[in-house]
Amino acid sequence: MDTDRENLTHHISKSFNRELEDLRNRVLRMGGVVESQLTDSLNAVANANEELAHSVIEHDYQLNEMEVEIDEECVLILARRQPAASDLRLVFAMMKTITDLERVGDEAKKIAKLALKLAESKLADQRYNEIATLGWYASDMLHQVLDALARLDPELALEICKKEQVVDREYKAIMRQIITYMMEDPRTISRSLEAAWAARALERIGDHARNIAENVIYLVKGKDIRHTDMEKVQDSIHRPK
Amino acid sequence: MSAAAMPDRRQLGTIISRNKLFEGLFALVGLLIVWIAVLILLALFINLAIDGAPRLSWAFLFSFPSRFPEEAGILSAWMGTVMVMVVTALVAVPLGIAAGLYLEEYAPKNWLTDIIEINVTNLAGVPSIIYGLLALGLFVYEFDMGQTVRVAGLVLALLILPVVIVSTREAIRSIPYGIREAAYALGADQWQVVSQHILPYSRSGILTGMIVGLSRAIGETAPVITIGALTFIAFLPPSPIQGEPPFINFDWLASPFTVLPIQIFNWVSRPQQEFHLNAAAAGLVLLTMTLLMNALAVWLRYRFRKQIRW
Amino acid sequence: METPAMNRDACGDLADEAHNRRDSATVKVRIDASSRGRAKAAAKLNLKAEVKELSFYYGDYQALKGINLVVPEYKVTALIGASGCGKSTFLRCFNRMHDLYPNNRYKGEITLFPDAINIVGKKVEPLEIRMRIGMVFQKPNPFPKSIYENVAYGLRVRGVRRRSMIDDHVEHALQQAGLWDEVKDRLDKSGLDLSGGQQQRVCIARALATEPELLLLDEPTSALDPIATAKIEELISELKDTVTVLIVTHNMQQAARVSDYTAFMHLGKLIEYADTETLFTNPGEKQTEDYITGRYG
Repeated sequence: MDTDRENLTHHISKSFNRELEDLRNRVLRMGGVVESQLTDSLNAVANANEELAHSVIEHDYQLNEMEVEIDEECVLILARRQPAASDLRLVFAMMKTITDLERVGDEAKKIAKLALKLAESKLADQRYNEIATLGWYASDMLHQVLDALARLDPELALEICKKEQVVDREYKAIMRQIITYMMEDPRTISRSLEAAWAARALERIGDHARNIAENVIYLVKGKDIRHTDMEKVQDSIHRPK
Repeated sequence: MSAAAMPDRRQLGTIISRNKLFEGLFALVGLLIVWIAVLILLALFINLAIDGAPRLSWAFLFSFPSRFPEEAGILSAWMGTVMVMVVTALVAVPLGIAAGLYLEEYAPKNWLTDIIEINVTNLAGVPSIIYGLLALGLFVYEFDMGQTVRVAGLVLALLILPVVIVSTREAIRSIPYGIREAAYALGADQWQVVSQHILPYSRSGILTGMIVGLSRAIGETAPVITIGALTFIAFLPPSPIQGEPPFINFDWLASPFTVLPIQIFNWVSRPQQEFHLNAAAAGLVLLTMTLLMNALAVWLRYRFRKQIRW
Repeated sequence: METPAMNRDACGDLADEAHNRRDSATVKVRIDASSRGRAKAAAKLNLKAEVKELSFYYGDYQALKGINLVVPEYKVTALIGASGCGKSTFLRCFNRMHDLYPNNRYKGEITLFPDAINIVGKKVEPLEIRMRIGMVFQKPNPFPKSIYENVAYGLRVRGVRRRSMIDDHVEHALQQAGLWDEVKDRLDKSGLDLSGGQQQRVCIARALATEPELLLLDEPTSALDPIATAKIEELISELKDTVTVLIVTHNMQQAARVSDYTAFMHLGKLIEYADTETLFTNPGEKQTEDYITGRYG
């Protein structure tokens, strides 16, 4: 039985409806915060904006708090309602999603720290242009996956799973580029290592976005597609039930 | 605030005390009525005891009736009563239980069984003299069974049959259906369920019904008079146990007889005051017999109920 | 919807293959490929019973509407559904309990393996069926007899007279029911003197004493407190090795806990039948989903 949004809140128990609705809203709100954190951190790097970077770092605690609160709510729902079927999948998917979101937040914080270093070094011309594209990909993935989560859209989620390979390719290209820089001019090693760190963080964000997409598919279709061949997944999602 | 406002906390107090007053009044009235019933019975008993107690003696219990009030006794009367009751019980109980069992466990539920059911209930309300007329016409004249112990036993058996049937059915009905289903689910057939479960579990109810029926029969006068029981019997029916083989005989069944209520009726209708005292004494004996039987019923019910509670 | 959906491959295969190979009760069950990385190998399962197009009528009222279902041997199969959906009625078809009341009619087949007799066949003797299939009821209903006699009753009905044999069976059944240590010193006490949970376990022992092939449980814990319920659930899991269990329950969590397969019924129809794991995490039918998640039907 697919999960769809209209059906999510038709329980006999109205308070259960409210709890599930509240849970979903909180996760989406957390997703919004994470998304703006990531965008801010990328902007901070691009513009060497110290202020923005500080604000990202300061806001990270918010995400940690949100994760703890949502976790508590999930545990309460499990204990009180013993949810089954789509409800169970919802709670389970939400618990896993917030873990990924929180990690994305951490990665954004790392990128923001890089922006601080950049600002301190006064090397405005040494902006990390090479990671800008990757950053754009990653934040686009995150944006779309949150969209898929909000709309409970497994097709979109599947697209995101595929995009992760693009991010991977981009990451590898950047790494090759960085290694080339370092070999050409050893003076840039320190800077290049920082860039590698940032690229690594963005690649991780792609991974997390894919995890969330997988959670969405699990939530909607009840299928665990982790460690499964993509074509099979595609078949099972499109196959009429 | 509307006129029909909810009472506030102070008003609740008055409402509660008013309710309590009604409750107390009802309890009082109930108690009064119970006491009136008890007192009437007690008055009756005491009245009988005052009149009859002086006449009670072994000689009174073991003498035959006589023209002289001070020599008269009730031996033939209570012996007759006992024998008639034995016949009644032997006829009514097996028949009543069988009928009750059949109606409750075996009979299909259709219009015929409905009619039978209504009839059985109605039979309990038929005046006893009608039974007497039936017995007179059928047993005494048609079957030529004479005005004997067996006819009296049969007519009283007919009289209490509905009581036994109804109480048997009630007793069977009080067994939860789960018990039957449990036995059937283990593979028991209907006879096993009836003989190993239904009958054992309903015996207290059946016994109670039987004793209540018998204690009604013991006091019946009209049908026994109708079939023509004698009022003056100066001999005992032949003993059911004899010295020579086959050691038991059934001649007593065909013997003329009298019973306690008839003896009392006879004495009361005499002009002499002394005979009235005899009647009171005999009444005392009859009442005691009835009360003893009821006490037995209560005791049996209590004993069996201790073992079985659903 | 006319035919009930057999969710996922497992039960669908079970039913299809049973249908194709009527001579043999052995069917292959393929455990669904996506079922959480568990054994993906094909498992051989025997069938204990197969229900085909079973309908049941109380007089003119049709309480069951063309039910198809298979009962795998040595597994626990649960029947769930709202009150009045016919799950108890269905269960009681298995030991011909409906024959006790007039105007009841069966249509279709329940085939009991290994000898492939039709349980609801007109020529089949209900007494034989009831001797082979045990049942435990919703309300504990021990006989007002001693604990010993309660457990021994099924043997007595079967004409067993040897005291030593009865003793053995009574002890074994009480042990299976996890009651032996609690009652071994008071076997002569009335079954009614026990607590509700103990009474129900006496009833289970009573049903087990005759070594039934199939055990029917009709909401066995609905009258019990949580502790007694837990004991009985534990007992059901242990029984799986020796007896096939078919259980009706109101309590969905209970079905999820104790059963291997679950059937969801609604208004006399079988809506969905699947392995329990699937049915409770990802049911195939909206009605099932709505029921197990507590939504408006």
